[in-house]
Amino acid sequence: MARSQALMIEIATGDPRPISKQIADGVRMKIATGELQLGVQLPSVRGLAMQLTINPNTVAKAYAELTSEGWLEARQGLGLFVAPPRQRLSAHERDKRFDEAVSRFVHDVVALDIAADEVIARIDVELQAFATKKTA
Amino acid sequence: MSDFVIETRALSKRYGSKLALDHLDLQIPRGRIHAIVGANGAGKSTLFRILLGFLPPTAGEARILGRDSGCLTPDDRARIGFVNEEHTLPGWMPVSAVIAMHRRQYRRWNEAAFASVLGHYHVLPEQKVGQLSRGERAGFNLALALAQGPELLVLDEPTLGLDVVAKRAFLESLMYSNASEDCTVIYCSHQMDEIERVADNLIILERGQLKNMSAPEDFCARVTYWVADIPFKGPDQQLVPGLLQVQRIDGLHHYVVIDQDEDFGEFLRAHGARSVQSMPVSLDRAVNGFLAKNHAAPAAA
Repeated sequence: MARSQALMIEIATGDPRPISKQIADGVRMKIATGELQLGVQLPSVRGLAMQLTINPNTVAKAYAELTSEGWLEARQGLGLFVAPPRQRLSAHERDKRFDEAVSRFVHDVVALDIAADEVIARIDVELQAFATKKTA
Repeated sequence: MSDFVIETRALSKRYGSKLALDHLDLQIPRGRIHAIVGANGAGKSTLFRILLGFLPPTAGEARILGRDSGCLTPDDRARIGFVNEEHTLPGWMPVSAVIAMHRRQYRRWNEAAFASVLGHYHVLPEQKVGQLSRGERAGFNLALALAQGPELLVLDEPTLGLDVVAKRAFLESLMYSNASEDCTVIYCSHQMDEIERVADNLIILERGQLKNMSAPEDFCARVTYWVADIPFKGPDQQLVPGLLQVQRIDGLHHYVVIDQDEDFGEFLRAHGARSVQSMPVSLDRAVNGFLAKNHAAPAAA
């Protein structure tokens, strides 16, 4: 029987995001970075609920959202698995998120007073690491 | 069978000149975990006492598991588990005697469920109940309540005073034990982090009235936090729509408001705000803001 892969996420109570949203965000991030690869099985609803000490219905809600967005797929009687990638965001949404991410990054980095070419070189190295992970 | 485990109609309870419950209409559906929050004196404990038939209402109706609370039979009571915040059990009785008594009295006694919950606590059969620590008594009490195989479990601040390990064991027993499947749980607590982890439904009582009944995140989404830079005096508080809390910090006005959309920003600008920012809030802050609105406070200086 295929074992599900451990899902290394933490949730925080007192966050403005509801717990189900925190789980969905965490899983999306892990899929996007290649830490959770195509075809990997996710923990059961009950299992993840116990890991995080939360109500199982909350996990079920996060999984339902991820499934409807196409990040996960259910296999009858087996559980949930990471689905094959497709363009999950509209072009507009993608541009918007990219703009936000860049502006957040620039704001943080400008304050550190580091030369632009040093910043760009470092970004390049970090992105290369993800590129190899994804193809591995 | 009624679809509601708890049903009250125009339920009132008066202590002298104080209304503890004020024409309360409350219907709690069967299944899942329902959290009840309210400021001290909102009427939670009074509500439970009336529902369990320990206290007669001044007016109105109270039904639990479809039965009139005023005339519950021992069989009805066997279907209801109750853990109160004091964890009242006879202090002079040894633990083993309490267990034997419950085993005898509850026909659906579930030994496996009892053992799986009590196993988290270091409780010896020969110990007297009065010698147990608060946490041990809480665990013992929950184990007894779950082992009776209740359809409805009422918990009145069950984790008050528990250490972190005991609290976690308590929550795990509540959410993952087989004994709590098919059981509707009413959970009364002041601890928002617990409610966020545990509750499917958030019920807010204030001054004996029902103020909210929805998923915790839906309630949270109704409340927003705004900071506005308004020179001089802000708008009259009476005019601010949905106002829960307002503070002036370092010359900026901080508002916590409910059921407001982007138009609230326009409202602030119309009252002279040079800049307006908003953000969502945590459940803790949302509930806090909501209860603070009418919370008792000393008269302004």
